[in-house]
Amino acid sequence: MKPAILTDLTLCIGCEACVWACKEVNGLPREGGAAQLSATTWTAVEHRGEVNVRRQCMHCLDPACASVCPVAAIHQTPEGPVVYDESRCMGCRYCMIGCPFGVPKYEWDSPLPRVQKCQMCFQQRIKEGRQPACTEACPTGATIFGDRDALLAEAHRRIAAEPDRYVDHVYGESEAGGTSVLYLSAVPFAELGFAGAVSTDPYPRLTWDVLSKLPNVVSIGGLLLFGIWWLARRRETLAQLRNGEITLAEAVKRMPPLIGDAASPPHSPDPSVDLEGGLKGGEGRPHPGGADADLTEGPRSES
Amino acid sequence: MNAVVAWTRRFTLWQGILLAILALGLWATVTRFAGGLGAATHLSDAFPWGLWIGFDVLVGVGLAAGAFVVAATVHVFRIERYESIARPAVLTAFLGYLLVIVALMFDLGRPYRIWHPLVMWNPHSVMFEVAWCVTLYTAVLALEFSPLLFERFGWKVPLAAIRRVYVPLVIVGVLLSTLHQSSLGTLYVIVPGKLHGLWYSPLLPIFFFISAVAAGLAMTIFESFMSWRAFGRRLEGDVLRGLARIIVVMLGVYLAWRVEDLVGRGALGLAFQLTPESVMFWGEMVLGVLVPMVLFAIRRVRRSDQGLFFAAILTILGFIVNRLNVSITGMTASSGVSYVPSWMEFAVTLMIVGLGFVLFRMAVQYLPVFPAGEPAGESKRGRSAPHPAADAAFHPTLGRGVLVALWVLLAVGAVGVGYGTYHANGSAAAAATAAAAAPAIAPAVAHELRLPAPYTFPTAVESPGPVTFDHETHAAVGDPGEPACAPCHQGLFRLGAPGVPVAGELTYERIHEGDLCASCHDGEHAFAIADDCGNCHRM
Repeated sequence: MKPAILTDLTLCIGCEACVWACKEVNGLPREGGAAQLSATTWTAVEHRGEVNVRRQCMHCLDPACASVCPVAAIHQTPEGPVVYDESRCMGCRYCMIGCPFGVPKYEWDSPLPRVQKCQMCFQQRIKEGRQPACTEACPTGATIFGDRDALLAEAHRRIAAEPDRYVDHVYGESEAGGTSVLYLSAVPFAELGFAGAVSTDPYPRLTWDVLSKLPNVVSIGGLLLFGIWWLARRRETLAQLRNGEITLAEAVKRMPPLIGDAASPPHSPDPSVDLEGGLKGGEGRPHPGGADADLTEGPRSES
Repeated sequence: MNAVVAWTRRFTLWQGILLAILALGLWATVTRFAGGLGAATHLSDAFPWGLWIGFDVLVGVGLAAGAFVVAATVHVFRIERYESIARPAVLTAFLGYLLVIVALMFDLGRPYRIWHPLVMWNPHSVMFEVAWCVTLYTAVLALEFSPLLFERFGWKVPLAAIRRVYVPLVIVGVLLSTLHQSSLGTLYVIVPGKLHGLWYSPLLPIFFFISAVAAGLAMTIFESFMSWRAFGRRLEGDVLRGLARIIVVMLGVYLAWRVEDLVGRGALGLAFQLTPESVMFWGEMVLGVLVPMVLFAIRRVRRSDQGLFFAAILTILGFIVNRLNVSITGMTASSGVSYVPSWMEFAVTLMIVGLGFVLFRMAVQYLPVFPAGEPAGESKRGRSAPHPAADAAFHPTLGRGVLVALWVLLAVGAVGVGYGTYHANGSAAAAATAAAAAPAIAPAVAHELRLPAPYTFPTAVESPGPVTFDHETHAAVGDPGEPACAPCHQGLFRLGAPGVPVAGELTYERIHEGDLCASCHDGEHAFAIADDCGNCHRM
């Protein structure tokens, strides 16, 4: 079972029972109010005219906040809920930047601040087989707890049964690659302040596409840099050898594989002949680059 | 003699400014650590990253990029004429990274856990990768910097040891730099819905990398001139001109690629709407990329000290504006708030920058950073022990024309920012008004709410009898015809669970004395509670 929450906004009466139940279970101060999410209000009820909108963490199936957290303080439990381990958090607040729904909040006025957000009562209740405090508190059944697949089926059943009552969209079915918190509404979600331009692909994929390429960058880049260095040094050594600045023995010592091969080629008994041949490219330019030389001509292969 | 007087006066003036900055910065430091980020900054839940990330970290790391480019040029490509600037570049980078770490200590909510990413891994996090790369690269920079100390104190053994591993060290440094310079851009790849279309791109890592290379080299030119003016150390114009040519290529590639990317994503149109974002975008691209690129490309400009300096300043300013645009301008519209840093954020930033200048100055004074004054073009290797007075040829300050141009540029920038801020406020307010004015949507749906069963209050010991509340008889409260739950349940009879009042809220006093039941049953709206106990209590 994938724990999930379905909130049917047409049934919500705005009583805020969910808000106060949440605060009680999580030991949050009541002063924070109930109208918007904050570090002390993990679920809120916005009274928008006759529509009441309950807000909470969407518990994405592939959560951006957990993917961006450098210390895995916010992480996804195997069961699904996205939870926060304050003992790891160093307070970089990347989760707040990364969350497409603007859910994680911060204790700005604390010298030892924490990130705060709904954790679906994972520790206190779900682990013990109970439902979250908010869904249990709801007097009208507007917000219910259950298996995500079952709740999705229920949501579509309600839309099919009363197509005039609902907009034909289950918010959270595909948003951000799918979330564990689902919404039904009579009013288009964009008019209710729901994040509109939310991609239907999981957000972590965006950065993973880049990160997963880095091992290649390192290995290819490292080889490339080493190769450039080797070629540049070979060229330098050969130039010095040719100018008589160093002896052949010194050159061999400096670059064993290079001069070793060049010094005893199978077809030429005289190393200097081959060296001359190998030096054609660098002839007349013992030092790479003049006053206006370009960087790109530094490394040059001579074969 | 006059020159000496002028020098003294300038020095004390700068000292005074530094002291003032230090005092303000220390005040801000105490406030921040005693009262939390909220006490010192204008950051909020809607805008969690501000000046300290945008400038101190993104700009600080980027401007230190000169070190790995120059180190690679000298030690990997083996173009030795750049060797004279390798040391100042490494010094800048080393100090830069140390200061970035200092800035992070301010910005992190719990700075004493800054080491956590090294032990608590999440390889899927860009920040994790940045943390590792910055840590390792700072170590590499410390090693690249160490020969200055070893030479200064004449320690031959460690000097020989470090020289033996210098090339692998430089290669590792280049790789680490490539990774984290680009990854600072990757940080924003996960916010396509939040970052404005003029800056958001899947190619952000590439743009961050290229622009950091250009700005890092411009920074190398800039600090060469600053040191030259302060200490009279001669730096080869020849070498700086070489850097200028690389910058032209970098800026050209950057400009072309960004335009191509904007066109490809269909975002170029955004630049032609008059918004704060487009104003900042044009400022960044024209004044900070196009103009310096053209200037650097002109031979006469490259050959003039002032020209080089001016174009380098433009490149650096353009880079700073770009990073601030990504981290602040571009994130403003989606946040719904308009963030302007607090004076304490500025004070801390200035303090850190000032610290950088002081440390750089001290290092140049006491360590063999710059080669001693010599004519251009000769090899500088093996030289140390600088003689501050060696080069008496003090050059005049910047030409008047350059200064005027600088001030005009800064004024234009300030006006642009001011306009942007004003406009951002305006459009945010307009959006709020529009939202408020939007007609309340009436869901024309029949509610099929079942009223809950009657509720029997817990009975106190002295109670004359149990009270049972019937929802049916109370549901007409509020609008006629519609069952209204909120008037009573929102605020008054709060529920912790269905049918279960929030613990401790139903007390005799609150029910009988004007708070809960009595708020309606006051003899005016409904019968008064005191009238007859039998109205409610079953006796």
